Amino acid sequence: MNSILIRHKWEPYLWLLPSILLMTIFVIFPIGIVFKLSFSEISKAGIVGAFTGLENFRLAITDKVFGTVMLNTLYWVASVVILSTLLGFIVAMALNSSFHGRKIARSIVVFPWATSLVIQASIWNYIINFEYGNLNNILMNLGILKDAVNWRASYQIEFLWECGVGIFVTIPFVSFCVLAGLQSFDDAYYEAATVDGAGFWNKLTKVTLPLVRPSLTVSTVLNIIYVFNSFPIIYTITKGAPANKTDTMVTYLYMLAFYDQRKGPATALSVIGFVILCIVAGAYMVISMRKDETL
Amino acid sequence: MRKLAALFLAFLLTVSCIGFAVAEGDITLDVIICQYGNNTNNWFTGTGMNGKSFVELFEEANPGIKLNLEVVSWNDVYTVVSTRISNNNAPDILNIDTFADYATEGLLMPVKDYCPEELYNDFFPSFIEQSVIDGTVWAVPDLASARAMYYNADIFKEVGIEVPTTWAELEDACQAILDFYDGAVYPWGLDMTTDEGQAAFSYYVWNNNGGFVDAEGNWALNSPANVEAVKFAVGLYEKGYTNPSPATQTRYDLQDMFGAGKLAMVIAPNQLPTYLTEKGYTVNLGTAALPHNEGAASGATGVMDRVMAFKDGSYPDQAARNAAIGKFLEFFYKPENYTGWVSMEGFLPAVSSAVSFLVEADPSFEAWLSVLDSCQFYPTAKAEWIDVKQGVIEVEQNALLGGDVQALLDELQAKIAK
Repeated sequence: MNSILIRHKWEPYLWLLPSILLMTIFVIFPIGIVFKLSFSEISKAGIVGAFTGLENFRLAITDKVFGTVMLNTLYWVASVVILSTLLGFIVAMALNSSFHGRKIARSIVVFPWATSLVIQASIWNYIINFEYGNLNNILMNLGILKDAVNWRASYQIEFLWECGVGIFVTIPFVSFCVLAGLQSFDDAYYEAATVDGAGFWNKLTKVTLPLVRPSLTVSTVLNIIYVFNSFPIIYTITKGAPANKTDTMVTYLYMLAFYDQRKGPATALSVIGFVILCIVAGAYMVISMRKDETL
Repeated sequence: MRKLAALFLAFLLTVSCIGFAVAEGDITLDVIICQYGNNTNNWFTGTGMNGKSFVELFEEANPGIKLNLEVVSWNDVYTVVSTRISNNNAPDILNIDTFADYATEGLLMPVKDYCPEELYNDFFPSFIEQSVIDGTVWAVPDLASARAMYYNADIFKEVGIEVPTTWAELEDACQAILDFYDGAVYPWGLDMTTDEGQAAFSYYVWNNNGGFVDAEGNWALNSPANVEAVKFAVGLYEKGYTNPSPATQTRYDLQDMFGAGKLAMVIAPNQLPTYLTEKGYTVNLGTAALPHNEGAASGATGVMDRVMAFKDGSYPDQAARNAAIGKFLEFFYKPENYTGWVSMEGFLPAVSSAVSFLVEADPSFEAWLSVLDSCQFYPTAKAEWIDVKQGVIEVEQNALLGGDVQALLDELQAKIAK
C-alpha cells in the first residue's frame, strides 16, 4: 500500500520528465544564454568578450530609432490584437449560428491561419503591388478605378497594410478559440434568457460574454505574445524600411543582429522584449484569475 | 547474456578505434561557400562538373585531404559564420565578401602562410590590394562583378533620344521618357533598399569625384561632392523619374521591371543578360558607362568576394593544414575548373590565367575585363565598413522621406569617425 502511494507521488513527474528535459534544453537554457550575452561584449565577428554591465542596454535604448520602433510595436500589437479579437468574436458568433454550408464556411475561415505567414505576406505584396497588383487590376476591370493607384504610397500606409494583414491572419485563431468556448456550453442558458425576455444585446452581454471570457482570456494572452513576436509579415512586406519607420521590435532586433552585426544591443533588446512579455502575460493572468475567484 | 552484450560492446569499441586510426592520416577541411546562383550547389557538391562534383574531383586529385564543404545562402552565411566562431568552430576556408572584422580580431591567417606563390602572383594586383590591412594580405578574391548602366534600346529608339552620359543628359532623357509614355514607363531604376543601398550611394558619389573615403583613406562621408550626389539621386525620385518605392524595391524588382519593359534604364551587374534570359525576358538592351556629373570623372562600381582561411590552433600539424588549404586554392583556381565556375554564374575572373580562356570562349568578355581595370571597390578593408554600409542606406532612406542630406551625412560621419 505504501509503495503504491510513493509510486503515485513520483509517477506524474516521470511522465513530465521528457517535456521538462525538452523545455530545459530548448527553452530555459537558451534564455539563460541570451541573458548572459546581453551583459557581455560581442564582437562583429561573433566573439563573446568580457562582462560589460548594462552597456548593451544603454546602446540599444539610446539609439535614435528605439522610440519609433517601440511605438510601432505598440501600434502593431494593440491594433492587431484588439481588432482581430473583435472581428474574430463576430466571426465566431456567425459560425456558431446554424445555417446552410456552415461546415464549409468554418473550413474557409481557417485558411488564412493554416497558410504559412511568409506566403501570405508575399501574396499580399502581389495584391497591393502598384505595377501588376491584383487589387488595381480588379478595380480597374470593374471600372471602379480609371488609373492604377499606388497602394504603398507612403510608409504610414504600408504599415497600415501590415497591420491589416496581421489582423486578417489572426482572426481565425480568435474565432476558433471563441467558437470552442461557445460550443462547450448548453443552449439551456439561452433558452432561459429568452424565457426571461432577454433580447439579442442582453444575451450577448449577460450570457455569451461571461461564458466565453475564459476562452477570450486565453486567446488574448496568446495573441499578445504571438503578435509581439511576429516577424514574417513585416519582414516580407517592408523589411522595416524606410529607415526603420515600419520596424517592430522583433524585425528591428533581427536586422540589428544579422544585418548590422550589432549582436550586443540586439540581445539586450530581446531581453527587454522577453521582460515586457512576461509582465504582460503575468498581469493578464493575475487579473483574470482574480475575476474568476469573484465569480 | 550479459557476457555476450559486454563482448559486443568491446567489439564495437575496437572497431571504432580502428576507424579513428584510419582517419588519423587524413586532413579534413571545413569549407563554406556562398550560394551565388542556382548552379553553385550542383557544381560543388552535385554533378555540375561533367557529371562529378568539385568535392569528388578534388578528393580524387588530393588523396589524404577530405573536404567537408557546405554551400550556404547569402542570407544565412553571416549568421552561420558568427555562430560557428562563437562556438570555437570556425570553418577552415570561408568564401564571403567582408573580411576586416575577422582579420582585426586575429581569426584569419595571412594569405602568404598558405597560398602557393605562383597562384598568388596570378591574382590581379588591384584586387589583392583590396584585402590588405596593415600591410598584410588576409584574403584572396574569388570573383568580381562590375556594374554598368543598361538601357532598353527600343524605348530609346521610340522616344528618339540619345543614351545619356552626364547627369544633365540623364535628367533630360528621363523627362523625355516620362512625357512620351505618360508615366507608363519608369525612366530610371533606383534601389535604396537595405539589400544594396550602398551600391546606389557609390553609383552617384563615385561619378561626382566623391567617395566613401578621402585620398588619405579616411572616412569622408559628408564631403560636399557626396552631399551633392545624394541630393541628385533623391532629386530623381522627387521629380518622378524613378520607380515609386526606392526604399523597398530591390535590384531584383528593378531587373524584373526592366525585363518586362516597364523600366527604361537600370544599373546592374554584368550578369544581367544571363538573369533576363533565365527568367524568359526578351529585351533589346544596350550597355553604357554610368552617367557622371559634368566635370567629374566617370567611375565604375566593382564588387568583389573573397576566400580566406581561419586559424585553428588545435591542428597537430599546422604545416600540413596550410599545405592542404593551398592545394584547395590551387585546384579551385586551375583554369579548367575556375573558368567553368566563373562563367557558369556570369562573373568576372580574379586571376589573369583565366582571362585568355574566357575571352576565347566568349569575346564579349573583353569589354568587361577593361571595365574591371577602372573599377572602384567598397572600402571593405576598413573595420567600420559594415556600419558605414548600413549608415549610408539609412541616410538615403531618410533623404527619400524628405530629410536634409547634409545634416544626415554629417551625423553619420560624426558617428563613424568618432
